[in-house]
Amino acid sequence: MSGPSLPDQTDLAILNALQDDLPLVSRPWKTIADRLNITEAEIICRMKNLEEAGIIRGISPVLESRSLGLNAATLVALHVPEERLDEIAAVISSYAEVSHNFQRDHYYSLWFTIAAQNEEGIQRVLHEILQQNGIPASDVLDLPTTKKIKINVRFSFLPAQQQECNFEPD
Amino acid sequence: MCGFPFYPHSNRSVILNQTDVCLLRELERGLPLVPAPFEEIGKRLDLNGDEVVKRIRHLKEAGIIRKLRARIDQRKVGISANALVAWKKTQTGDGDMGKLLAAFPSVTHCYERRSVPGRWEYTYYTVHHGYSQDQVLEEVRAVAEQTGCPDYLVLFSTREFKRVPNVRMRENEGNLT
Repeated sequence: MSGPSLPDQTDLAILNALQDDLPLVSRPWKTIADRLNITEAEIICRMKNLEEAGIIRGISPVLESRSLGLNAATLVALHVPEERLDEIAAVISSYAEVSHNFQRDHYYSLWFTIAAQNEEGIQRVLHEILQQNGIPASDVLDLPTTKKIKINVRFSFLPAQQQECNFEPD
Repeated sequence: MCGFPFYPHSNRSVILNQTDVCLLRELERGLPLVPAPFEEIGKRLDLNGDEVVKRIRHLKEAGIIRKLRARIDQRKVGISANALVAWKKTQTGDGDMGKLLAAFPSVTHCYERRSVPGRWEYTYYTVHHGYSQDQVLEEVRAVAEQTGCPDYLVLFSTREFKRVPNVRMRENEGNLT
């Protein structure tokens, strides 16, 4: 279904394992490989292929926002004319304070997140974006985060024939 | 090297030393795919592998690193549908609606947000992923039914312009040379 480069079962097992916290040992890939009954050389080779294919975007830390001084966040929705979408989206994405920027199928078509040290920081970025693009306040929904209830991005990748209920319980 | 103050004006409670900042920047570039990745990172920072591991452990204990894991482009493995679902608070009186929504394994994110009175009354937001839009819709319907939250809006993403970790050493801060 997804073309010739579909990862095989072993690749999927590797992807599932790599979403867990990496063991802090000198040879972490070997620890995971042992668990999956493959060699260290094989897991490294497969990870390289998966990275080359753009499936693995890197093995990196999840950082805690508050300890790094990011105390405020918001989700913003904009009503944007179709023909200006690309141009406006590019301006928004260029801000470091913006981490997610998606088009969604709604009257408010552009949805993006802003994180900053405080409310003022957020409003400064938002104001600048709106002004630069000439977007009136009536076309904007500013939806500040009042509570993070859950963040747990973990996919359970299944072989094609089992892609029905694809999520694992926490 | 990256001898550069990190968030110089921030009021963060944890002070990182210069080596930690450099280490975080290196880690953020992604662990090298070699047998001893921490050793390899250490070479760039004048540390040995054990020292790197020790510092990472310390950063975890200090609540700065939550975990080390692979970032995966799930769409390239077939999970192509992504929906943000906005929920209106219901007066069912059976406890915390956010907690109810978050309890579903298919929900990867759950946030409470301020509404825009008179224009946008949704206050809870969940994110759902699936192999198809139908699969996601089915799951959202099940969530709505089981939580007794009938008033929701499903917003499927049609294009991704940017998706990076929301907490990271910022691309425009510090010199990365």
